[in-house]
Amino acid sequence: MKILEIKNVHKIYNSSEVQVHAVNGVNLDFEKGEFSAIVGPSGSGKTTLLNMIGGLDSPTEGEIRVDQTNLAGLKSSRLIDFRMRHIGFVFQSYNLIPVLTAKENVEFIMNLQKWNKRERDKRTYELLEAVGLKDRAHSRPSKLSGGQQQRIAVARALASKPKFVLADEPTANLDTKSSENLLNIMEELNREEGITFIFSTHDQRVMKKARRVITLEDGRVISDEWKKKNGSS
Amino acid sequence: MVIASVTIGIFGGVFAVAVMNGAIEQRVDSALNNEISHIHINHPGFRDNYDIHLTIPDLDSVMGQLDETAEVKAVSPRIIISGMANTASKSAGVQIVGIDPSLEKSVVDLHEEIIPGTGDFFETASRYHLAFIGQDLAKQLNIIRYVIDEQTISELRESKIPEATVEKLVPFTGERFHSEEDFEKEVKAVLAPGELEQYGRLIREKAWSFSERTRMTLTFLDGDQVQTGAVFRIAGIFDIKNTVFEMSTVMVKKDVLAGLAGLTENDAHKLIIRLEDMEQAKAVSSLLSKKFPHLEVLGWKEIQPDLALMTDLVQQFYAVFMLIILAALAFGIVNTMLMVVLERTKELGMLTAIGMNKKRVFSMIMLESVFLSLIGGVVGMIVSHVLVLFTSSRGINFSQFEEGFEAMGYTSHIYPEINPGFFITVTILIILTGILSSVYPALKALKLDPAEALRTE
Repeated sequence: MKILEIKNVHKIYNSSEVQVHAVNGVNLDFEKGEFSAIVGPSGSGKTTLLNMIGGLDSPTEGEIRVDQTNLAGLKSSRLIDFRMRHIGFVFQSYNLIPVLTAKENVEFIMNLQKWNKRERDKRTYELLEAVGLKDRAHSRPSKLSGGQQQRIAVARALASKPKFVLADEPTANLDTKSSENLLNIMEELNREEGITFIFSTHDQRVMKKARRVITLEDGRVISDEWKKKNGSS
Repeated sequence: MVIASVTIGIFGGVFAVAVMNGAIEQRVDSALNNEISHIHINHPGFRDNYDIHLTIPDLDSVMGQLDETAEVKAVSPRIIISGMANTASKSAGVQIVGIDPSLEKSVVDLHEEIIPGTGDFFETASRYHLAFIGQDLAKQLNIIRYVIDEQTISELRESKIPEATVEKLVPFTGERFHSEEDFEKEVKAVLAPGELEQYGRLIREKAWSFSERTRMTLTFLDGDQVQTGAVFRIAGIFDIKNTVFEMSTVMVKKDVLAGLAGLTENDAHKLIIRLEDMEQAKAVSSLLSKKFPHLEVLGWKEIQPDLALMTDLVQQFYAVFMLIILAALAFGIVNTMLMVVLERTKELGMLTAIGMNKKRVFSMIMLESVFLSLIGGVVGMIVSHVLVLFTSSRGINFSQFEEGFEAMGYTSHIYPEINPGFFITVTILIILTGILSSVYPALKALKLDPAEALRTE
């Protein structure tokens, strides 16, 4: 089942002197339950593409549809609401709210969606358990390691049961062990709960885990490979 | 930062206004209680040139009608003649005021401001004519002298003055100084500036001396334009911290002055009226104007327009003063909150990305400012309230500016005072300023592009 369609998307940045074609005619479809990585060198357009998929940026040309909804057709306030309900974000530098505890960070979106306390608590503890940090529920981000903070960020991204999670270089700031740990957790969530993950990454470990690797160069898709069950292309 | 600026803003504004307000209230109280009371009635032409003949016609009937007026608490008739006060060495132009001491006590409290040991406001019977004068006039006429004798030295030793300082004054033992200037000149020559600043005032107080037998001559022109006068003994020296009034006022018994001036005991140039409530002055003076169309009736604001102007003007001054503080505060808050938005660009970008809508982002920044302003407001209110309360019972001593204050009629010991209405208004205004000045930074936060904000480091 297609949950995301990218049709002939272009993104052109106009500065005073030069025109930068950051994304140049990308066509991609994503199915439910994918565990995909968008890779490519710096400046290849990964983050720009991810921002457009997440509705944080809009294409200069082309169309992005999430479950048949054209993001370009949504007004700014509807788009924010759409992001809250349907898209989960994991950022490179975690971006947790420093004054809130791990639990409060996870339930933040549920609060925005006005969930009742019992449901909120249930979901929060389920997610904290899934990322292996139930015992750190009341710690503030400053008391957690980078890997733990990123796991909290994953839990937060999943809080509102999104259609897919966009993770922009999620392991870039993590050491090997934490990266491994985080990837295993995400893989498990993908496998057992069918959550769709789309990464942008440079990290070989992420590419290895991903079942689909889309390579970008100069804003164009130069390869789109599906791996077989045993991990080979 | 915001809390501190709001706290300091409220504290600075409220306390400065409390000090000014206190000084003005004290001046108004002192003027009304010691100098002018609430309402004056006189012959319409009297104030033009103080003509001795322009007494109040049919005084008994006027006083009778005043007694029947409910708002009037007390009335005292005065005879007022311009003249000269002379001692052996000095003379000064004064206004000689003839009063009935017992009636006068009911309209002003000047008798309560007598410097201890100088007299008793005409209570002790004397075969001499008696005069009640101000401290500054007494100094001017060399009635107050400065004496350093053994008693002065021993008193100085008992007070907190260091022995070394007292030793410098010992050579003056037995000396009498006729004027304050002479005394200060000599003392200045032997003491170091620091000692003078610290102990000068105390030394002057201890050396202050007054002889009960001191006499002065009052001379003036009587009703027939013939110079007349008499010798008066001092029946008391008052100190109301108002140089102009102290220099110009000599009070004597009304019957004595009437006798010397060729007037009768039933003559008076002015009626001084004390009301039950000073707030009624305007209403009662217009009522009395209608009752006595042939006389001039003046409320205290007309008698001392400078005071009236001051009390009215000061309200506007407070407003301007607070406006300046509020403007400074607003700039401070705008600046701080813009910094907050700038520092948290990434966080705000993240919040927008994960679904926090504009309304919520705006309310978050606004709420933060309101919260900070509220805390700052409450802390500022408490700090200023405590300090005003503390200083209003003890007062603040500006004795180093004493001369300047007294020359303007103000005491140098100020008891800050603030009315609760002003206090609350200021607090509300400061909190409102806090809220209004965060609108701009909050709008700025709304304009952040989440994708760009997330890229900031």
